[in-house]
Amino acid sequence: MFLSVGVRFEANVEALNMVETAGNYGKHRRVPYLVEEDGRLKTVYVPAMSGESLAHAYQEHLVNEALSADLPVCDDCWRMEFYKSMNKVHLKKKVDPIPDDPKKIEEAIVKACVVEDVGGFLYAEKPPVRRSSAFQVSYALPVKSVALFATSEPQLHARHAQMDASSKKGNASEQMIYYVETGTALYGFTFNLDLDAVGVSAITSKPILDENEIKKRREASLKALFRMLSSGQFGAKLSRFFPVGGITELVVSVTEHPFVVTSPIYDDYLEKTQRRLKVLESFGEEYLFTAATGEKVPEEALKEAIDYLHEKGAF
Amino acid sequence: MTEYEGIVKMLRFFVQTRNFSYVDRIGNALNPEPVEVALLEALRAFRSIRESASVDENGGRYIEKDGNKILLPGIPSGEEVMGFLKDVRSDTGVAKLVATLALAYPSKKENSGGDV
Repeated sequence: MFLSVGVRFEANVEALNMVETAGNYGKHRRVPYLVEEDGRLKTVYVPAMSGESLAHAYQEHLVNEALSADLPVCDDCWRMEFYKSMNKVHLKKKVDPIPDDPKKIEEAIVKACVVEDVGGFLYAEKPPVRRSSAFQVSYALPVKSVALFATSEPQLHARHAQMDASSKKGNASEQMIYYVETGTALYGFTFNLDLDAVGVSAITSKPILDENEIKKRREASLKALFRMLSSGQFGAKLSRFFPVGGITELVVSVTEHPFVVTSPIYDDYLEKTQRRLKVLESFGEEYLFTAATGEKVPEEALKEAIDYLHEKGAF
Repeated sequence: MTEYEGIVKMLRFFVQTRNFSYVDRIGNALNPEPVEVALLEALRAFRSIRESASVDENGGRYIEKDGNKILLPGIPSGEEVMGFLKDVRSDTGVAKLVATLALAYPSKKENSGGDV
């Protein structure tokens, strides 16, 4: 089974994805974007969030869900440091001595950690072993039709230090000003989860775990997505720049084989997705499509997908 | 390419500090807009770094990174920036050439890192 989610969220004055700092200036991630204006295409730079940032947040939620379901999480992932068995030092914590056979290495890692099972890993030693992530996430980008209204604006802040004449050194200032570039936009992103890949070897395509364990891991993967979207706990600087806004629209499709919803950066993504699914139906493929665009709230749509997967025996 | 020496020197400074972001964006741009944005950001960052840099006995500004002293060149002039952006608008190859020069060794030893 394959789950695909399209999310639109409004974020005002957010600093969800900061890149480098230059002196006292912290910059928001920005990407070039093609937009149409008066029938002509033009490039504009818009605030964005990387897929890496969203994936990190998702994996943090996955750790929590896995631990509550009594599923294994390795020490590195448990600390939210996703090294992903990248070398011998990290792999030895899971299996010692390290086997020579890539299949056995993969098996040891998958058995030891839900995050590396679902989120993939790259063991960059001899022999190298790579497992693709079962989940995929796009960058969060401004919705096309309103991208020109997106802004990234530096906000001035100050830090103060209490200094009397004796503690003051040289011309040290009692306050330091700094700028945080904040983004404001209606963002859209896509999240996919291939449930058939969970607990299954990327090398042999055979299950590594027993069916019951696989089902528990699939359920934890879905709950992690639910929690991430429901709580808004993704991105950086939440303690002082928690975005003002929230999810405005969300669509979910569950299909037997891979299918990705039309990107929510397009205004007609909902209708397009439905039309594309109708074609799948004509091939005899069953699916679920649900959307939270009006009366339904995002949590209800996600719950509907979880219930459907439950009915279908995915977990 | 001497007319863009200031920009080349500034980008070379970022290369020396292992910040390849600006030079890559300028050198790989397919149209003028990314060059303009990257140059704006590079100038903004460079000014911030320069203002907080230390001054040596010769009056040259420098920063220390991994135990190495890296001299800061001067800020490119407005005329130079204007000329560069104008040329980039007519030929993006100019941006690629400037970025390539920034990645290369300077033709002569720049003890001062440029003007101070």
